[in-house]
Amino acid sequence: MTTPVNTPATTPAYGVGIGWRPEIAGVVAGLPGLRFAEVVAESVHPHAPLPDALAALVDRGVAVVPHGVRLNLGGAEPVEAARVTAFAAVAERLRAPLASEHIAFVRAGGVEAGHLLPLPRTREAVAAVAANVRRVQDELAVPLALEPIAALFDWPDDELTEAEFVTAILDATGARLLLDVANVYANARNRGADPLAVLAALPLDRVAYVHVAGGAEHDGVYHDTHTDAVPAEVLALVTELCARHRPPALMLERDGHYPPEADLRAELDAIAAAAGYPAVT
Amino acid sequence: MVLAATGDTWGIPGPTFITGYLVAAALLVVLATLHRTVLLGGGRDAFTAPMGPQQAAYLNGGPRLALYAALAGLRVSGAIGSEAHTGALTTTGPRPLGLTPLDNAVYDAAHRRVRTRDLGADPGVRSALDGLRAGLESAGWALTDGQRGTIRLWGVAALFLVGVGFLRLMAGLQNDRPVAFLVLALIAMVGTAVYLLTRVPVQTRAGRAAVRRLRGEQAHLAPALSPAYATYGAAGAAMGVALFGAASLWALDPAFAAQAEIQRQAAASGYSGSSGCGGGSSSSDSGGGSSCGGGGGCGGGCGG
Amino acid sequence: MTGPLADRQAALVAALTAGAPVPPGFDARLVEVARTALLRKRAGEVARQWPLLAAAHGPRWPATFAAWAAARPTNGSVRDGWDLARAQAASGVLPRLAAEELAAREATFRYDGTGAVRRRRAPALARAAGAVAVQVGGRVRLLRRPA
Repeated sequence: MTTPVNTPATTPAYGVGIGWRPEIAGVVAGLPGLRFAEVVAESVHPHAPLPDALAALVDRGVAVVPHGVRLNLGGAEPVEAARVTAFAAVAERLRAPLASEHIAFVRAGGVEAGHLLPLPRTREAVAAVAANVRRVQDELAVPLALEPIAALFDWPDDELTEAEFVTAILDATGARLLLDVANVYANARNRGADPLAVLAALPLDRVAYVHVAGGAEHDGVYHDTHTDAVPAEVLALVTELCARHRPPALMLERDGHYPPEADLRAELDAIAAAAGYPAVT
Repeated sequence: MVLAATGDTWGIPGPTFITGYLVAAALLVVLATLHRTVLLGGGRDAFTAPMGPQQAAYLNGGPRLALYAALAGLRVSGAIGSEAHTGALTTTGPRPLGLTPLDNAVYDAAHRRVRTRDLGADPGVRSALDGLRAGLESAGWALTDGQRGTIRLWGVAALFLVGVGFLRLMAGLQNDRPVAFLVLALIAMVGTAVYLLTRVPVQTRAGRAAVRRLRGEQAHLAPALSPAYATYGAAGAAMGVALFGAASLWALDPAFAAQAEIQRQAAASGYSGSSGCGGGSSSSDSGGGSSCGGGGGCGGGCGG
Repeated sequence: MTGPLADRQAALVAALTAGAPVPPGFDARLVEVARTALLRKRAGEVARQWPLLAAAHGPRWPATFAAWAAARPTNGSVRDGWDLARAQAASGVLPRLAAEELAAREATFRYDGTGAVRRRRAPALARAAGAVAVQVGGRVRLLRRPA
């Protein structure tokens, strides 16, 4: 890949978006100012017709970004060719301006973890991820953004800080950063670190877009559940981030226990207010 | 008894009778269809008012689906529940604001622990259902019983032709005349009579069109999408049941639906006395697509 | 802790999904927290695919699923729910409502317990724990409810 590393953010400002899920398709369709949405890539068939509601969003000019969760970019083995082909096909079908995946592994030794698992922050892992990212970039017609995950535990042999690890992968691949402020918050809180310091260490000029989500504490650990309300601390982090470097899009991720429509809209408004973008509701 | 068949049965030659019979039958079908078309056309200002969930439910699945729509709305509001052992409805919260008369009647019945299957016999519920029906009729969305009666008269006329054909058949058999054409005509006529007598729709064309339009506008409530009823609220849940049948109520709260003995097959396309629709369960082998970074309980978010 | 990344990832996944010991060096408490969260998440996903199975178990569903799934890595939530329902049917503990759902599923789809789930083209009759369902042209009807 010869993509220059410090691509200026040429992406137009989309403002506040939302993760499209079939369960709340009616709410998403009813957001007049919406210009950005994300859909779980594996939930879209690469060839069958798009779900009507999704097609309607694409047709009205909303940028719909496929978000992969099962490519297994962090796997030690090469990413499966069929999955990459499907991922690229979905991006094309959605006429997406970019696509995204995680810096994580989801299966190993032929066994599905059913979850995004953290990688050891080592040079070896950087090389493994970078090799897989390049395999995806070779097939993908649009830029790829990578999301660091919320990890409930760390590997014992970490050599790099999270920021160093992420930056090394981005440097090696030219990929953009999908920054999840809820993950930053969760990791910092669970590791006893300062989320602002973690944020400041990340290459914020390479942020393609931002995830905002809610979580809850179980067993003394903060879980990035996507099924709870967005905490005030995460919104404060959004404000801090936008004061430093406002990303072109920030979106709410909600994956279950969907609240009443009014609450969802209020969360979108709160994100818009925290980021200084116009409300989309 | 056995007389020489000197002439035609009733003095009318077979081909002449068959021709006349078929002409009469065709005329009857044409007139019946025209009459239906005129009555079902509704006329009146059917498009002006927005259609509510219970109205849509009544048109789509009759009084039972209207009741289910009311149950769905009340359930999402947290106002009603059901008893595990008896299946009786109960109230679990205060009476929500902005209820329809049918909601109110169902809530009252739930307060008296009426069972779902007995709801239709509850006087308050029954009168609310009558009111709902009257509203549909005056909006031009449903036919009145009187109109349906006159439509059915064409079925009676068809029965008369069946009778005439039958007598002719008997006589023809006795006279040892060929009856093959008559038998065929008679079979067709019986089918026509049964159709005209039993398939008398409730919805007018305007009603049917309004329901179809709603189904397009509210496609996000289709059970295949596992709609988040808590998000869409009481009105959304009621509308989901109205447009997509009892399967929506099962999707909304399976435990409640089971206890309250909600008929899974109740619903969907065109109420004309009885209707059925298989509750096909959609399925994908996707193995879960949640992108939770560290997942807590993405548990089933149904009010139960 | 050393060895190729592939093996170490496999060991970690085994600890999280198949009841294998936590690889040395990891914080066992946190890995356990992750394992529990994973089972909770899987229970929710299976509940979405098998709403009646989950509803029939009521508040005990997450624990019931977790007990069954603790040493079974996921094959996708459709198959996980299917395997659990069949196992419960075989041992006579499948609740009535769940039996109806299983029978309807068996009539609509073909699933051999190891491969992919495929829609049946031909009409089919299926029974599960006393429930009998028939499927013709993709439409399912319950012929008999369990006692």
